[in-house]
Amino acid sequence: MDNLHAIFMTEAGELMADLEKGLLQLEADPVNVEGIGKVFRSMHTLKGSASMFGFESVSTLTHQLETVYESIRNGSSKLTSKILQVTFESLDHLKKLLTDPQMKEGTLQQAQIDLLNRIEKLAIDTQPIQHSSSSNTSEVSPPLCCYYLLFSPQENILRNGTNTLYLVDDLLALGNGIALPHFKKLPTFDELRPQLNHTCFEILLETTKQESDMRDVLLFVETECELDIKAFPPGASLTEQVKQLAWRGHAIDMPQGFDAFSAMLSSGANPILKTGARTSKTPKETTEAQQTKASAGSSIRVSSDRLDELMNLVSELVTTQARLSLFSSQNQLNELSIISENIEKITRRLRDNAFTMTLIPIESLVVRFQRLVRDLSKELNKDIVFKTEGTETEIDKSIIEKLTDPLLHLLRNSLDHGIESPDERMNKGKPRQGTLLFKSYYSGGSVVIEISDDGAGINLEKVRLKAVSKGLISADESMSERELINLIFMPGFSTAEQVTGVSGRGVGMDVVRRNISDIRGDIEVTTKENKGSTFSIRLPLTLSIIDGLLVRIGETDFILPLSSVNKCYEVETTILEETFNQWVTLEGKRTPFIFLRKELRIINQTPDLSQVIKMEHEGHDVGLVVDKIIGQYQAVLKPLGNFYRHQEEYSGATILGDGSVALVLDPYKLIKKLIDQQQVNLKTA
Amino acid sequence: MTQTETLTSYLTFRLGDELFAANVSKVLEILEIPKITKVPRSPSYMRGVINLRGSVLPIIDTREKFGLPHTEDTISTCIIVMSVSMEGQDITIGALSDAVQEVMEIEENQVHPAPSIGSKYKSEFIDGMVKRDDQFIMLLNLDKVFSSNEATILQEIIQASENVEIKTLTKSKISLTEK
Repeated sequence: MDNLHAIFMTEAGELMADLEKGLLQLEADPVNVEGIGKVFRSMHTLKGSASMFGFESVSTLTHQLETVYESIRNGSSKLTSKILQVTFESLDHLKKLLTDPQMKEGTLQQAQIDLLNRIEKLAIDTQPIQHSSSSNTSEVSPPLCCYYLLFSPQENILRNGTNTLYLVDDLLALGNGIALPHFKKLPTFDELRPQLNHTCFEILLETTKQESDMRDVLLFVETECELDIKAFPPGASLTEQVKQLAWRGHAIDMPQGFDAFSAMLSSGANPILKTGARTSKTPKETTEAQQTKASAGSSIRVSSDRLDELMNLVSELVTTQARLSLFSSQNQLNELSIISENIEKITRRLRDNAFTMTLIPIESLVVRFQRLVRDLSKELNKDIVFKTEGTETEIDKSIIEKLTDPLLHLLRNSLDHGIESPDERMNKGKPRQGTLLFKSYYSGGSVVIEISDDGAGINLEKVRLKAVSKGLISADESMSERELINLIFMPGFSTAEQVTGVSGRGVGMDVVRRNISDIRGDIEVTTKENKGSTFSIRLPLTLSIIDGLLVRIGETDFILPLSSVNKCYEVETTILEETFNQWVTLEGKRTPFIFLRKELRIINQTPDLSQVIKMEHEGHDVGLVVDKIIGQYQAVLKPLGNFYRHQEEYSGATILGDGSVALVLDPYKLIKKLIDQQQVNLKTA
Repeated sequence: MTQTETLTSYLTFRLGDELFAANVSKVLEILEIPKITKVPRSPSYMRGVINLRGSVLPIIDTREKFGLPHTEDTISTCIIVMSVSMEGQDITIGALSDAVQEVMEIEENQVHPAPSIGSKYKSEFIDGMVKRDDQFIMLLNLDKVFSSNEATILQEIIQASENVEIKTLTKSKISLTEK
């Protein structure tokens, strides 16, 4: 039961996400018939499964909502922004209900009653239109018309618990009609499987309803059946002869087809039992059905626990493989090294493969953001358009989970403090509508996410005054622009004069930075007054395994991520030691370098030859000097733990083939730290 | 948590001349010293990291942390692997000790309060003291000791406890002379 419950929870979560997405689309395009249908279907499915699992509160509310959308769908009322607003609120309420279905919390109960009342009111509001429209149509009085329906459910329709007989009953309830069962393809008795459906129905229906009403009955099995509806020419009515067909044993065989009945109805002649005349399926329908089937087969749902376990196993395999490689290089056996090399190749491929499984597109976050921007800009009375770029960029799922809160915070900040009110924007000569751009892209071994607005930007002088008044810096401290901007990441700093409900409690930016550095990311701000600000977050592609370069300084092994390594040079150590300002000429280009031995305080004899590893840091070349380059190494990243969290220059540690531990350096952060401490200068002197 | 409080077995270990006790519910295992990888630019009481069956274990130089003079590792130097809670999270650490002594039962009524010293803050690292064979054993509050960022946390307490010992010794001498 717990298992089923869990399935319902994931399903409900997905349905709500679909619903939210649909609603957002509808808001942009309120007359989109397809969109309304989608929203309606999500609601209906949600209602159904909620009542099945005893979430009465959820199903009641959804039922009420459904009523409202039903009338919109059949065109008797219009989708207003008021309706959308209530729906959005209900959706939020429903999400809460999922965790507390019994409404043990008093406020939740109140909210439920409140929402139910409001929805009911909406339903009544929409009623008058419905009345007027129905009275209009009643004057015209819809003509009685005769339809031929060929309803052929697919073989496995019964597996979902759908009872096709009920559906047929529902169809017949629309008017006056008969249903003739047929077998499409009856297997021999031995092969007959009771779980499969072999029946299709020919239905003759005399009704005042429209064709769309008939399709509605089968709305939820749309993908699992073929439906062909044809109208007989006006004037045709069900003759006695046809009715008798239902009583007398007609040939339970192939469907007879529209033409056969058409002749019967109009002329009243004897039925011509054309056994072979099967109504031709429209090819389009078939391909659509196949497509849905194909997409269902190409992906399966795997619990994230299993993926995590897979990644752990792959990590262990990588570590073990390193031991094997070491062992084989120590024992010069031909056969052994061949096997070992092969295993290394396979491990690498397996690793890459497993790794891509844990990647999900950033798109999955964006719906939530769209919703936030929509709600907030309304609340703040601002006109803001939210644009996204590169949301197909994929990133490790564990990173995505930890990224949501910081990103929400940044967006909130941009909306609240960044983008000005429409009037203010007009005064500044900017377009009335503010733009918030969410962009993500790959850059080397990392993913960059940028949130930029075209708002007021950060007033550096304000930042400075604030920092002085909060005692974060002294009044006469001279600071670079960059240092000033970075003040906003200090704990307890907030520049908004007024604390709003949205942001401005000053607990935000330092938490954002901490959360991001927890996932080995980094945040940067660029800002221009009255032009806007850009927050860019640089994140590692993965948290678990990286391709690294194993290097040695003194007796300590370090790993540098291979993705950041540009080129390696061998330089005589004396040349490096004798330079005046830590610049060395590489391929005729003067490059600043960092003596890792010195920065990491490793004291021992320096070798005659040193290795300079050239990498790029924010557009500048930098050389990192190490004693020895050992080679390429697949490093399984292990966290260093709480005790070393202030040592940001390490992304973690890894276990080498001989069982010892090597530290994994994060060159980006190391160089940044050294620049901040003014020990390195990358700008050309 | 209640289980932790009711367990009365303690592991005693030596640092210099001082004896300390750690509740066995916190102690996971005792290791010989393997190759320790130093982490450059870290506080001096962090000796480095080791590979403990595939995971990375931070090693704390307990002498340094407690403010005791530095000595070279000996053959009896070992690592006590323990689980401490730090900021609400259970983490595993290795603490260096000069020698591990024994596991002993200590009943609550045998525990004396920690010696009162000037600053109240420091005494929270010690749950109490127990006297065995004329020597005081300090019962450590491991959670507090190892989650503290301070370097030389126990210096004052150790000094204070030495004073206590001297006092009790003199007392017993007096009683001898009286007899």
